[in-house]
Amino acid sequence: MMAYFLTDLAELTRHLGRTRQIWQHDARQDWFQTDATTPSPLVAGRPARSAKGFFFAEQEHVFEFDGRYFRETLPRPKPFALIGVSSCDLVALAYQDQFFADDPHYQARRQQGLLVGLECTTPCTHGFCPTVDAGPGARAGTADLVLHPLDDGWLLTATSTQGEDSLRGLSLAAASECAQQLRDKQLADCEQQFPDDHHIVEGARRLNAGEIAEDLWQHLGIQCLSCSGCTSLCPTCSCYGVQDQSSEQTISRRRFWDSCLYDGFQREASQHNPSADAGARVQRFWYHKFSDDFRQDFGRYGCVGCGRCEVTCPGVIGVHSVMKRICHE
Amino acid sequence: MPGQQSVQTICPFCGVGCGMNLLVDHQESVVGVSPQSDHPISKGKLCAKGWSTPFAIEPGDRLKHPLIRTPNGFRAASWEEALEVICFGLEDIITRLGPDAVGVISSARASNEDNYAAQKFARAVLGTNNVDHCARICHSPTVAGLKQTLGSGAMTNSAADIDQADVIVVWGSDATENHAILGGHIIEAKLRGATLIVVDPRRTRLAKLADLHLQVRSGSNILLANALLHEIYRHGWQDQAFLDARCEGAEALAEAVADCSPSRLSEAIGVPASQIQTLARIYGQAGNAMIFYGMGITQFVSGTFNVMALANLALSCGQMGRPGTGVNPLRGQNNVQGACDMGCLPNVYPGYQDVADPAARQRISDYWQCLVPNRTGLTSMGMTRAALRGVFKGMILFGEDPVVTDPDQNEVLASLKALDLLVVAELTMTETASHAHVVLPAASFAEKNGTFTNCERRVQLVHQAIPPVGESRGDWQWLGAIARRLGSKALDWTDSQAVFDEMAAITPNYSGMTYPKLARHHGLQWPCNETAPDGTALLHQTSFPIGRARLIPVHHVDIDEPADGDYPLQLTTNRLHFHYGCGSMSRKSPLLERETPDGILFINPLDAQSLGLRDHSAVGVRSRRGYLETRAILTDDLPPGLVSMPYHFHEAPSNQLTNRAMDPISKMPELKVCAVRVCPLPEGQQPRPIQAILAQTSGSDPQETSG
Ligand code: SF4
Ligand code: SF4
Ligand code: SF4
Repeated sequence: MMAYFLTDLAELTRHLGRTRQIWQHDARQDWFQTDATTPSPLVAGRPARSAKGFFFAEQEHVFEFDGRYFRETLPRPKPFALIGVSSCDLVALAYQDQFFADDPHYQARRQQGLLVGLECTTPCTHGFCPTVDAGPGARAGTADLVLHPLDDGWLLTATSTQGEDSLRGLSLAAASECAQQLRDKQLADCEQQFPDDHHIVEGARRLNAGEIAEDLWQHLGIQCLSCSGCTSLCPTCSCYGVQDQSSEQTISRRRFWDSCLYDGFQREASQHNPSADAGARVQRFWYHKFSDDFRQDFGRYGCVGCGRCEVTCPGVIGVHSVMKRICHE
Repeated sequence: MPGQQSVQTICPFCGVGCGMNLLVDHQESVVGVSPQSDHPISKGKLCAKGWSTPFAIEPGDRLKHPLIRTPNGFRAASWEEALEVICFGLEDIITRLGPDAVGVISSARASNEDNYAAQKFARAVLGTNNVDHCARICHSPTVAGLKQTLGSGAMTNSAADIDQADVIVVWGSDATENHAILGGHIIEAKLRGATLIVVDPRRTRLAKLADLHLQVRSGSNILLANALLHEIYRHGWQDQAFLDARCEGAEALAEAVADCSPSRLSEAIGVPASQIQTLARIYGQAGNAMIFYGMGITQFVSGTFNVMALANLALSCGQMGRPGTGVNPLRGQNNVQGACDMGCLPNVYPGYQDVADPAARQRISDYWQCLVPNRTGLTSMGMTRAALRGVFKGMILFGEDPVVTDPDQNEVLASLKALDLLVVAELTMTETASHAHVVLPAASFAEKNGTFTNCERRVQLVHQAIPPVGESRGDWQWLGAIARRLGSKALDWTDSQAVFDEMAAITPNYSGMTYPKLARHHGLQWPCNETAPDGTALLHQTSFPIGRARLIPVHHVDIDEPADGDYPLQLTTNRLHFHYGCGSMSRKSPLLERETPDGILFINPLDAQSLGLRDHSAVGVRSRRGYLETRAILTDDLPPGLVSMPYHFHEAPSNQLTNRAMDPISKMPELKVCAVRVCPLPEGQQPRPIQAILAQTSGSDPQETSG
């Protein structure tokens, strides 16, 4: 792991842009492809959408059958770099990497992508990454390169071989001890500034201890409009549905993001539905995010503390709202 | 991968007008959406329909070129050919029968620019005021009722106001299904401590969360409003200072409700008198109280009076002109407000300027440089009836599917068949389009620039994200092409901004708006003019457009078709969060389509039991007008005696059954209630889609009759 001092971020962007498409986000817009020769300034924090859609596409064709042959329709993206991925989103991608380890479509994109993290120095609204061990500093093994803002430039750390390789040809000075210390201090300060989120810890405890009354789930279920917003924006959600479409000559199968909050998600052709009631669906969602069972499989909670579900849930049952209700009712 | 670009636009589904970004990939197709976190209403949220937008507009089954009917079905045609057939047809009808034998039905889904073009086409090119759109069947009573009492037929307040309401009354609206994001604001308000009261015959989602649910009998709205007023005046809870300063008619109203005591009316209303008294006390003594209402108010023969009754209530208590108050219609389609504002109504020019007013006519004629007609035109249902009488022969219709969405489907079908020329412009082949002589491929909202006006009067910009699919064109463009062929330059605009500028110059409420200004402000709420350059969030703050508001006493009107021995159940209609209008867009999403239950007749378990029905049993449903088959879904969200059907599904269209009896003032049909008979189908028999049932009864398709 090598740490460098970078005066001009544009220099890095231009360098990476020679061989890759460059994507960034600004606070308002979402991810957008930027012209690497005249890059726009980086914005820290969480964009509306996480980076998961770069690898697990919102919808894509998976194969075609022309009557005789099956043809896999693998994506072949050009190399690209995502600059400014927040620490929580990096952790979520590492989680998705496990889930999609054997998925050729995900992997075809993943192999072409370079992840450049950007560490937060102030908490974002609704975020609680420290509580779920996902930030504000980038977690080990989740990025290729990590940026941290300093007063007069950037601390740039190469955290993978691919990251180290990507810097080849760029002349960089090693970072001073002092820059490292400043980073640690800024991250510690940032952690201090997060609002009290005792309800998350206590809520997760009660959830795992099975201390939540059935009634409460029922009540929360009434508030779920099955909009699919939480599952679309949650960086660790990975459910998809498939549909076969036939045209004159071919049948093609596509898959698309699905949502476990839909009534139809588990409904069988017989109309039997193991999760026909909305309360049970809401319960399952939160179980997936905070259950110790999943922690064993994935080495961590399913929630990375990004806070997106709190913003996007029209029924007011995002993570903070739910956990507070669990603690107070 | 998220799109190469992300294009800011507005959700095309409902009147809330949420902000969304469309993500466009390298092949110029829309692959995703993301909510706009800085949007003033949606603040980073979308509902299921909004999230499904990429499916709704995907090219798969879109119409890609014009189609012309031949004896053997449709054939593809060039625009040239299609325009020629249309112009020949129009000229022929107009020569034979005059311009009032033709008309235009525009679309509350299309942009303001398209709607402005549609009414100008009717008036300036065809020479008729026969122009209408679907507001007739959702909020025409709102326009008629609020115009008389307040002077302006729109939502008085804004979505943001919900934050400031102490009491929220949701009356005849299932706001979390059809206006989900606004419904979400209401949930939020309830959780922060506002008192939520729901008046609805069905136990809606909000009813389940409410402090008080008045599960009233269908059609008892005026009785309830009058009983509330009775209590309010009896206890002196009215806002006398407000009444004295700003209203007229309070005394007469108090007198008119003197004999409407809750105890006398409670049986007819269907709820205990104590509930009525509680609601009167809470509303009458509230700091800020906000009323929201939907089609449970408007879709009655008493629609206009129902709206006036709510206005009486709000005015009496002085709940008007402040944040967190008012009378707020929840408008269904994304641009139904705009379509009305643009003058796609047979009795008003743009900006509600009366066609009967000679000064208005002069103004419009001068501006357009042609004499516009002054006879009030036909409503959409007027056109249907005139077609059946043989005096109306040519219709141009876009973005609507009246065969599915209008009452009494069989009559609508017969009227369409009586036309010499039916032109339908659509995204996909709809039921109505399948009866057209010429079908034109229309561009979707993602393929054009323009503006939508949401239910809180906010005019918002829609940006083109992708090129039009196939040869499809925007509505104002193809209307312009027909006009040019008919020798008129009236619709010769260079771009949508030019249409908007022309419209804003003669539409007083829009006069202060321009595209750049809309872009800067996340949209502007009308009125936006010299005195209110940044728009108006809150109407009627210091005065009403008619000076003083009018309290007009209204009296109960019986529903047209109560249940009886032959048709013992009362049928009402509802909407599902997952679907929209005729379903032609929302049903393209495999996810939303999966949410469609396999049956759509909702029925109370007690009624089901007495009919011998189980959950998912196949049933036939008959009214005096038609018959359909579906499956029953048992739910105690409905009281015994009341059954309900959503209207989005063309295979089992509730409008086979619904009643055409109309509100005499607004011509709104009584879609919310009619009488039906439900009977189980024989064991093992599947419900047949309506198309098969009709084919069988008319015997027009021998193959299907045997099946
Ligand atoms: S559950 Fe909510 S806070 Fe946690 S990762 Fe998902 S979207 Fe973020
Ligand atoms: S965002 Fe909220 S309302 Fe939407 S599906 Fe998730 S929990 Fe349900
Ligand atoms: S509430 Fe209406 S405008 Fe908002 S996302 Fe849903 S359908 Fe679209």
